[in-house]
Amino acid sequence: MARARSEERSGWLFILPFMVSMALFFVYAIVRTAYYSFTDFDLFKTPSFVGLSNYTALVSDELFLTALRNTIGFSLIVTTVQTALALALAVLVNHAVRARGPVRTVFYLPSIMSSAAMTLIFLWLFQRDGFMTAIVSIVLAYLRHILLFLVGVAAVQGALVLNARRRYEGVSIFDPFFLLVAAASALALVVACALAGLLPVFDNDLRISWLNTQQRFLFMPVTLWSVALMNVFTTVPTLMLLFLAGLQSIPNALYDAAEIDGANAFQRFRHITVPALRPVTFAVVTMGIIGTLQMFDQVAVLGDAAPLASRATLAYYVYENAFPAGASSRIGMASAAALVLGILTIAVVYVQKSVGVKERAE
Amino acid sequence: MGTFVLAFMASLKADPLERPFRVYFDQLNPAAWIAAARLGQEGAGDALWGGLSPGAEVGFSVTYAAPAGTKIVEPKAEIPRRRPGSGIAAALMRHYAADYASIALKNSSSAMMQVRDEEGGLQARQTRTFVYEITYRTDREDRPWIERTPLNLTAPPSQTLAESPISPSRSERRGRLLSWDNITPGVLGLIFNNYRRVINETADLETGKSLFGSWLVNSFAIAAGRLVLTLVVASLGGYALARLEFRGSRFIFAALLFSMTIPAQVTFVSNYLIFRDLSLLNTPWSVIVVLVASANVLLMKQFFEGFPREIEEAAIVDGASRFQVFWKIVLPNAKPALLVNAILAFQGAWNDFFWPLVLITSPPEALTVQVGLLSLRRSYGGAQGDWGLVLAGAFISIVPVLILFVLFQRHIVSTELTRGTA
Repeated sequence: MARARSEERSGWLFILPFMVSMALFFVYAIVRTAYYSFTDFDLFKTPSFVGLSNYTALVSDELFLTALRNTIGFSLIVTTVQTALALALAVLVNHAVRARGPVRTVFYLPSIMSSAAMTLIFLWLFQRDGFMTAIVSIVLAYLRHILLFLVGVAAVQGALVLNARRRYEGVSIFDPFFLLVAAASALALVVACALAGLLPVFDNDLRISWLNTQQRFLFMPVTLWSVALMNVFTTVPTLMLLFLAGLQSIPNALYDAAEIDGANAFQRFRHITVPALRPVTFAVVTMGIIGTLQMFDQVAVLGDAAPLASRATLAYYVYENAFPAGASSRIGMASAAALVLGILTIAVVYVQKSVGVKERAE
Repeated sequence: MGTFVLAFMASLKADPLERPFRVYFDQLNPAAWIAAARLGQEGAGDALWGGLSPGAEVGFSVTYAAPAGTKIVEPKAEIPRRRPGSGIAAALMRHYAADYASIALKNSSSAMMQVRDEEGGLQARQTRTFVYEITYRTDREDRPWIERTPLNLTAPPSQTLAESPISPSRSERRGRLLSWDNITPGVLGLIFNNYRRVINETADLETGKSLFGSWLVNSFAIAAGRLVLTLVVASLGGYALARLEFRGSRFIFAALLFSMTIPAQVTFVSNYLIFRDLSLLNTPWSVIVVLVASANVLLMKQFFEGFPREIEEAAIVDGASRFQVFWKIVLPNAKPALLVNAILAFQGAWNDFFWPLVLITSPPEALTVQVGLLSLRRSYGGAQGDWGLVLAGAFISIVPVLILFVLFQRHIVSTELTRGTA
């Protein structure tokens, strides 16, 4: 009895530092945020109770609705694309790569960098006369060359595979040797045509606004598409490593058995790989959702390089209302929006936990 | 990966936005390094960082080419009163090479050379090499060291530059006016000019102290403080959750998991007010203390759960208190987990952007590097388009984390992987 009581006491003593920080900076902060969301408060005067008017003001605030739409769109796009790409890459790399140590190091590198430094590098890439624009203008200038090359590869590859299949069984469409031959001959064709003057090069002097633009594409501003591209690019390598670790824990015997039973590559992927990777997928999707819903740093570093409506996310909206440039802060609005963001996060994580990807492998 | 290499190359360039993008330029050219070292040596006796100091005699030769039959005339040379870079550098610049250096043609010689024309083909052209000598004037009273020596050469458009020890920074009026920002750079001054500029040109106007330097110091202080605090909180808390049975432990664990999903934007107003009431705003303490180390506690808990119980129980039977067991037996065996937590804490604190942005807003030298990058972007990445400086700042800011990663990559990568699948 005495020992149980002493353990109780030492337990609380051990956890005390964590409890203090948790209680003060998390629990108390959330409660206070909830309280402020019902008040009119500007950081200096005493808060006065205004009921639900902050929430009604939010719903009629055009910028809030834009931010909400942007956040949901961004989260949806980035989470889906990064999960799919990471899985695809992991499956590819799993077969191809033997030296995993160096691969891990290289792939892990982007994730240790700060979002601020990363965003600056991408801002540079996405300048109006920057590198991305240069790539696009080169592609446009040599569009015909590229098209001819692709058509050439497809034609030669098709011919080679068909020819081979007439004689042997089971030549893959993407047979690497044939691909090499097809690429070489298509390249020769393009070079020949270019030298003969059949393929004109277009001169262009493009200036593309990747960031500083009000334009929208589908349901999201172009600016956020650029940020999404950057996010996907920086997270995919790390997530791929997670999938890779998961893939290596799947016993090879399962695949061998399925192959004997006559399952093709896609069926093996669908019925062995995907179910076995469920726990990893759950972790990846959850991390993705939590990370993308609170995307803030990139937008803040972007700053006045893009119009507010094209880059506003919920997290940024909260900050922008608490510390608006050249106006007094609207803590009530900020708190209400912050609660919406928090509840949205919990709801999405909960929904994905119960109906989405299952936590345990079956 | 490729993006980083590309961006790093661009961070060395005088103009990272140049079109078309070249992948081969002076900063990557060993011949230019050697020339820059010689020029720096002649200018200030400093082959590394260059400059112009009393007693300097710098020989600078340029070769012009022209089609046969055209007379190659001597280009008009002057040392302009040019400010380096943009923004605050202008206000900081006190001494101009134009006031202290004189330039004169020493000799010239003609020859025939194979010169590349616009299409890249080789052609025999007549050329003429002019050797200029830049000397530090002796009739001046105060004789300061001058950081850089700009040079302008004006020549008729019919003759083109064929050779120079280092390439001109700009070519204006269809090649008539060639200008160099600095002809006495020294080898590091040539390669890492943008990096030197980040440190020197982000200075405080009143004190003259480098802002970027103090941002780095602040970030180190904050990261070190966070590291220590995280280790204390996480090891104690993780041990309690893993080993000790007390009422409320399950609830605390649930709260821990919950806190990992809630964005910092939800809690920051209250935390901001707490530090304002304690008058800790704009001090490193606020950013160090505002810490809910949930992920680190979780990591320590997982480690302690795998630790054999028997040793601890034996010690308790021998009469050791819980804290003695923890301090003398458990912690010394938890070094790997502590190391991982320390690395993650340092990396997290160094890369943190949101809390420093909220809690430290003034004065300019109190910022951390990450928030400083934002102010760099504002002052140089906007209309000035001085991206060399911004990119250099970004790359300096990742160096500490990069070193950490290179030293401990095995630990970092494997924990991140297990944490993800846990």
